[in-house]
Amino acid sequence: MLEKKPVLFMLLATAAILVGTIITMAMPFLWVNTDADRIETVTPYTPIQQEGRDIYIREGCNNCHTQTVRPLVAEVLRYGDYSKSGEFVYDRPFLWGSRRTGPDLARLGGKYPDAWHYKHMESPRSMVPQTNMPDYPWLNDTALDPESIRNKMETLGFPYTEEQIKELNGKTEMDAMVAYLQKLGSDIPWRKVAETTIVGDLTNPFPGDASAIAAGKDVYSSNCAACHGDNLEGMIGPALTDMGMEDADLYQVIHSGIPDGGMPGFSNLGSTKLWQLVNFINAEK
Amino acid sequence: MENPSYNTDIVRSFVTWSLVWGLVAVLVGVIVSFQMINPDLNFGPYLTFGRLRPIHTNAGIYGWGVGTIFATFLYMVQRLCKQPLWSDKLAKFQLWFFNATIIASAVTLLLGYTTSKEYHEMEWPIDIMVVILWVVFAVNIIMTIINRKEEQMYISLWYMMAALIGVAILYLVNAAAVPASLFKSYSAYAGTNDANVHWWFGHNAVAMALTAPPLAMFYYFLPKSTGVPIYSHRLSIIAFWSLIFMYLWTGAHHLLWTPVPDWVQTLAMAFSIMLIAPSWGSVINGYLSMNGQWHQMKENYLVKFLILGITFYGLQTLQGPMQSIRSFSAFIHYTDWVPAHIHMGTMGWVSMISYACIYYLVTRISGRDLYSVPLANLHFWLALVGQLLWTVPLWVAGVLQAGMWNAMNEDGSLTYTFMETMVEMYPFWWARGIAGVIFMIGVLIFIYNIYMTVRKKESAPSTATAEGRA
Amino acid sequence: MDWASILYLGITFGLFVIFALIVVRTYSRKRKDENEVAKFRMLDDD
Ligand code: HEC
Ligand code: HEC
Ligand code: HEM
Repeated sequence: MLEKKPVLFMLLATAAILVGTIITMAMPFLWVNTDADRIETVTPYTPIQQEGRDIYIREGCNNCHTQTVRPLVAEVLRYGDYSKSGEFVYDRPFLWGSRRTGPDLARLGGKYPDAWHYKHMESPRSMVPQTNMPDYPWLNDTALDPESIRNKMETLGFPYTEEQIKELNGKTEMDAMVAYLQKLGSDIPWRKVAETTIVGDLTNPFPGDASAIAAGKDVYSSNCAACHGDNLEGMIGPALTDMGMEDADLYQVIHSGIPDGGMPGFSNLGSTKLWQLVNFINAEK
Repeated sequence: MENPSYNTDIVRSFVTWSLVWGLVAVLVGVIVSFQMINPDLNFGPYLTFGRLRPIHTNAGIYGWGVGTIFATFLYMVQRLCKQPLWSDKLAKFQLWFFNATIIASAVTLLLGYTTSKEYHEMEWPIDIMVVILWVVFAVNIIMTIINRKEEQMYISLWYMMAALIGVAILYLVNAAAVPASLFKSYSAYAGTNDANVHWWFGHNAVAMALTAPPLAMFYYFLPKSTGVPIYSHRLSIIAFWSLIFMYLWTGAHHLLWTPVPDWVQTLAMAFSIMLIAPSWGSVINGYLSMNGQWHQMKENYLVKFLILGITFYGLQTLQGPMQSIRSFSAFIHYTDWVPAHIHMGTMGWVSMISYACIYYLVTRISGRDLYSVPLANLHFWLALVGQLLWTVPLWVAGVLQAGMWNAMNEDGSLTYTFMETMVEMYPFWWARGIAGVIFMIGVLIFIYNIYMTVRKKESAPSTATAEGRA
Repeated sequence: MDWASILYLGITFGLFVIFALIVVRTYSRKRKDENEVAKFRMLDDD
């Protein structure tokens, strides 16, 4: 019987393995990456972005960073709009990851100005003192090889122009990495959609309150200092001393950011922390 | 003494090399765990966390795990079939090629040649080496089984054959890629499809490399160590078919809440929960096999390793299904909870079983008493404490961080920034680093004990060793 | 009930039948010795 016929046994075992395989692994191909989940605005990577992606893979950034936002309240608040299948059609391989030692990067594009990334990649601890992200300064030292990138674009079948290949000359791996990071998750216009408007009138709930100012200092250190300097002296963003903004205007700027200028919005800090910030900044002038 | 026609030299060689790669895996594990505490320990470009972590996981699974699989399968198949190995030459080639593959993997991963797919990071030339290696191994085992003298096929052979087929299918499908150059390829699947294929592979690598083979070993080495048969061969048969049928449906439990189609996620969740039954079929079979033999837990160091191993397997297969429930996954996914789950499996289940097998094989093949049973007991405790000190704090850490990630203020804003949650992890990561060192000391003692056993000059063959009794 | 549900139900039922058949076959009295003998034979070879 079966117990004595190894070949028959192996055939049956293969059949048992294939049932679940066909249903849960093969069948999804009928729906995924078809017209059913296509998103028109999603575009393939440009040569420099694709090269940045390959460097991201080479350095194993995916061992600390995920790239998919789940449709859960806290997660959408923290990272941005949840990920959709159609956004990943050009991702070979996928880079969703499995562990968030660092934050999710699926919606990173446009969150920070380029200058922030250059500085952060070179030395993360200079921006975020307690991070455990390694320094990647050597990315600045290696020039890109346009011909090998052209070859990659051909292999992938992605469109490119001679112009784009020529532009790679003189660029470094760091340039490619930043170009890739700025593309992440920005193919759908979620930032515009997610812009929240402030309802109600803006009156400072604790004007001049010393404890609010002290609390504001802490919020500032963990959220703003990387760009505006430890003492508001300015760095990537301008100095915040002597601005002479009204409380309400200042609140508005911090809440919604200045997207085109590289100032992220901080609406997810909540109104209490935002007012603490306002009081802190305006007390420093 | 040994039946001279059985090839035991090859078993001994595989044991040696799996010990080497096992030590490498643990050592690199300790290094990366301290890199997470202090980023100054990254020495770019080669020795950074992003490049070393895959070397830790692959040395563990392919070097230590598969190396032990090679050693034990080649031993068991000859005994269970009462038939010498089909081809000694092929086995020799396999040994040589195995080490070449592991070394090539380690070097290329350090150089940054990686696909980024977890547990399948090696680039396409090395994929080809792995396939050759596996085919050579499978052919040798299967031909030995076909030529066997013992008509009955014991349950261990079933699990071995399933693992041979399963790994082959999984690896080939997931490896499909288009090369762009010698060490760079692009996956044949894109985005969501790639994720789904990959975790179908990933979870079933757990089934076919970290579950079926250790079960084959457990079913063989437990009765051999205790001297009494397993409780029920029929129960093991039912559990076998259910296990290999159900595992393949569950890959998407790694992808809950992602863009993978909902029905795939739901099936994965349902089958994961059903998997408790066949998994516990083996656990219960193991426990009942100890009926009337529980005193051996005290007297026989091999039994200690084996029974603790199957116990962690039981816990693992309760925790896994729990993690596969959507609401629970929403909470603990992406946190340190999951690495703790992994390490109860690898340090508590796979390694415990492998240790017992290796102690058994080395004393058996050399025909000598173990150099020191007290040292083996010390090894047992270091492995157990090391594992628990690793996993328990990180479960706590995972829950803590998940709670902080989800904490919201009354006005609907988030309570903590990412960094505020991340710095809370440092004390737990310290505990893990120390646990890793403890576990590694255990491995060193283990290797020392094995070395002293085979080195010992006065070879006084003893019958007591045969059953591993002290 | 729509066709999809009937199909699901049918497949699920079919799987249970297969499972039951395996159990019945494995545990049939006739095969008891045949199915348990391997566990004793594996201990012989020492
Ligand atoms: C050891 C884990 C680790 C590795 C490896 C790592 N990172 Fe990070 N990363 C972090 C942590 C922790 C943070 C959060 C603190 C910070 O900004 O540094 C972070 C933050 C970031 C951020 C800012 C995200 C945000 O929304 O503020 C970017 C961008 C980033 N990492 C990119 C990368 C890239 C690119 C690589 C690979 C070259 C990489 N990281 C490798 C841990 C890591
Ligand atoms: C990623 C870097 C970055 C971070 C982090 C950041 N800012 Fe800015 N910020 C900028 C940049 C760049 C500008 C200039 C934008 C422009 O004027 O176009 C700016 C502008 C501003 C302005 C307007 C200044 C003016 O003179 O008009 C205020 C106020 C401000 N930031 C406050 C904050 C506060 C408060 C935080 C912390 C919650 C913060 N920023 C965090 C980059 C950043
Ligand atoms: C019934 C059995 C099991 C089930 C249902 C199960 C379930 C799961 C789930 C749901 C995850 C993903 C958790 C997450 O990312 O949120 C996971 C991860 C993992 N499990 Fe299990 N598990 C089982 C048994 C085992 C065993 C026996 C091992 C052996 C070592 C194991 C090893 C792993 C590994 C290595 C991962 C990590 C994958 C990654 O990198 O993300 N599991 N398991």
